[in-house]
Amino acid sequence: MTISIRRLAGNDETGHFDCGDEALNLYLKRHAWNNQELSSIGVSYVAVADAAPRSVIGYFTLATASAPRAGFPKKYVRGLPPYDLPLILLARLAVGRRFAGRGLGEKLLGEALRTSLRVSTEAGCRAVITDAYRERAGWYAKYGFEEIEGNANDRTVRMFLDLRTVRGAFE
Amino acid sequence: MRATRRKTKFQADLAPREDRALRLLKKDLQLESNSDFLMDAVAIFQWAVSERRMGRRIVSEDATGERRVLLFPRLERVAPESDLPSVSIEWTKQELESLARLASRPHAAKPTPALVRALRG
Repeated sequence: MTISIRRLAGNDETGHFDCGDEALNLYLKRHAWNNQELSSIGVSYVAVADAAPRSVIGYFTLATASAPRAGFPKKYVRGLPPYDLPLILLARLAVGRRFAGRGLGEKLLGEALRTSLRVSTEAGCRAVITDAYRERAGWYAKYGFEEIEGNANDRTVRMFLDLRTVRGAFE
Repeated sequence: MRATRRKTKFQADLAPREDRALRLLKKDLQLESNSDFLMDAVAIFQWAVSERRMGRRIVSEDATGERRVLLFPRLERVAPESDLPSVSIEWTKQELESLARLASRPHAAKPTPALVRALRG
């Protein structure tokens, strides 16, 4: 089975998508397209198999974000840009239940990071961040994501991956 | 000797249907010559290309706020490969401190084997 990953299209079939998490299912079914095309608050990329090229089996959503420089302690600002720190937000990543445990999550994450690297080349971003479910934090850590301490949310942990590290993987 | 500026002649073969469309447009826009029509068309195209090149989408909106996005395949050729919108996220004071510590390290961490596999695979 050949899998390709591309930008979400208006005629993609998302109604059947089930990753086991209702919030992630609903986002793809109800909000991803409008957020991408109308509200411009996130671009979703979908994984499809060659046998059913419109049927979504996994997806991720990216946006750009920033952290206010004014909130950084003085001892750390040296070496950072003299403006708010530009970041890429991996807002969502989900794999359909039927494809879980077959490496599709890694494939999606790889594509998300390659896209992030391209964006950072064009627009200058420093890192990728994501709010991972606490039980999934170990999976992200395997790829080098580190915890950003101090998240007030009990269910998620905010994580950081330096884009220099991502670039280093190609060297 | 002063060089004279030569104008380039532009000629196009149009099917009867396209010719009718062009004449109608010229009438609606009150343009008398093909040259004026072409100059205006180029100006609009130039604007659309520059907007799309910056990653902006071209949208029309009616009185109710309903919006339509122009999807014109030729314009997509000049759009940035990755066009990501910006969102605002909330940070706690402790998170900002932790983020600044991670981002200000002079050297980034080495990629893990899983990361290398994900990116090269």
